[in-house]
Amino acid sequence: MENIYKPYLAEIKEIIDETPDTKTFRLQLKDPEVAKTFNFKAGQFAEYGVFGEGESTFCIASSPTRPEMIECSFKVYGKVTQALRRLNEGDTIGFRGPYGNWFPLEEQKGKNVVFIAGGIGLAPVRCVIDNVLDWRKDYKDITIIYGARSIGDLVYKYKLKEWRDRPDVKTIITVDPGGESDGWDGEVGFVPTIVEKIAPKAENTIAVICGPPVMIKFTMPVLKKLGFSDENIFTTLENRMKCGLGKCGRCNVGGVYVCKDGPVFNYAQLKELPDEF
Amino acid sequence: MEEKIISKQNLVKLCADIIGGGHILIAPGKTEYVVTQDASQIVLDTQSKPTKASYKTFVFPKAEPVLYYKRGKNDVQILDAGPEQKKTVIIGAKPCDTNSFNILSKVFNWDYKDDFYNYRVKNFIVIGMMCEFSDRYCFCTSVGSSPVSEKGSDIFLIPLDADNFAVRIVTDKGKEFIDAYSKYLTDGNPSKSKEVSEKVKHPEVAFDSKQVHDWLAKNFEHPKWDGVGDMCLSCAQCAFVCPVCHCFDIVDEDYSYTEGRRMKNWDGCQFGHFTLHASGHNPRDIQGKRYRQRVNHKFKYYVDKFGEILCTGCGRCSRGCAVSIDIKEIVANCKD
Repeated sequence: MENIYKPYLAEIKEIIDETPDTKTFRLQLKDPEVAKTFNFKAGQFAEYGVFGEGESTFCIASSPTRPEMIECSFKVYGKVTQALRRLNEGDTIGFRGPYGNWFPLEEQKGKNVVFIAGGIGLAPVRCVIDNVLDWRKDYKDITIIYGARSIGDLVYKYKLKEWRDRPDVKTIITVDPGGESDGWDGEVGFVPTIVEKIAPKAENTIAVICGPPVMIKFTMPVLKKLGFSDENIFTTLENRMKCGLGKCGRCNVGGVYVCKDGPVFNYAQLKELPDEF
Repeated sequence: MEEKIISKQNLVKLCADIIGGGHILIAPGKTEYVVTQDASQIVLDTQSKPTKASYKTFVFPKAEPVLYYKRGKNDVQILDAGPEQKKTVIIGAKPCDTNSFNILSKVFNWDYKDDFYNYRVKNFIVIGMMCEFSDRYCFCTSVGSSPVSEKGSDIFLIPLDADNFAVRIVTDKGKEFIDAYSKYLTDGNPSKSKEVSEKVKHPEVAFDSKQVHDWLAKNFEHPKWDGVGDMCLSCAQCAFVCPVCHCFDIVDEDYSYTEGRRMKNWDGCQFGHFTLHASGHNPRDIQGKRYRQRVNHKFKYYVDKFGEILCTGCGRCSRGCAVSIDIKEIVANCKD
């Protein structure tokens, strides 16, 4: 009998404090055989479990092109994330995945890519960024626009530095007005405003966007104004999930199982869904 | 299709043999389907009211462990869990129940295969029975079934007279099973059973499921949902008694400082916390939206995705509803 609910075991190799309430785990699957064959695609997610507390759903934040470690980032909110916060390096957690669909990166080769992310929304976008950067010669212009409420809320600061230092990537970091402090050398302004200011060209370009609903709501009209078609704007949905396998029924949006048919959708697909996410 | 006859006395003996053979035998009790140890106590009455709950709990239990864990200092050990591999026979199942596995198997197998469910179904023999019960909540005929439908049964019983049942052998699995008890069976008389089954009164067709589907496609936003939502208590009994509702939760239960189990427990889309995100955001934040989900899932989404209506027309959800929400009435009014 195959037990689809049985997780792999993973060891926490490294814990990174991103912000006071957001952490990143660098994980290694414990079974060497599984670790050797494990693979996934950018955009897929997994169920991370603390035995005795339950499981929680996060995207895989690391790129499939860098398979040494599986990374996930989470904000401490509920029961499981509070339990995860209490763990230390060397502890064991459960890992079920990879699940769901992925960003169609292969099909997008030869195009420009614009990444737009807000807050912890950078986590699912980050794996795509790293994936695209590892295949840099296959893509044209790459633009990253990332914003958070304040400097303290920016995640992956080490990554941001790496991307800003690359001459072949245009990286714009912004914080909401009032979130800056002395010596801040990034932009100040809300993400939609910055997107409008940078005005990436829409021709032969795909946009990957993820962040708080309010950011997406106000960025969409900007992208439309710039001429992006619905089919070229991609995002990833986060709904409450338990099984991740298209069974338990709670991530449904209309007839769609976000865990199986998603989490990655283009804007044209999202428009077809009822307003229930 | 092969047909045999069995006398009532022999049916009791057959049931006793099933139990004696170490199999699990389930029969309709006064209010629920129950595991029975005494074949002589089984009452097979075509006029009996459907039990309060369906028998889905025997293949998809209310609560079942999917794994056991033991925590060490930094390590965790996972021990497998799995369903008991025992042949289970249900006798006297209503036609509105028998089709449930055909419907449920779609979602439990459309991509990943849930073997907890599959292994139980594989070991399950369904002996259905014609139904002569009908009340204002029944609507099997509106969802493609009928009181004499053999869909989902391996063997189907039709009472011929006070002492005998016709035994229709519907599937190969049913044939293989019944062959072991052939000493209790005599040759059948299909024309007689046909005559009996044709006389059974069918509940009136309350709606056209295709029209309901099309109406739902156009009326996601409709004041109707707020109306039902205001009445509904969000207790989810409708989901628990339903033969085909299958939402579940996955929950860890510690039973000592270091040990515990991960459970797969029934859940219901009518609960407010069902879709609640940790952030506080809830995509289905009011009851009207949740009831809309229930009706859409049954009569539209599941049909689009799996080609089956997620409803058997048994009427249990309405019969048991504390505030008299009648799904038949609501669905029948899904029209302009």
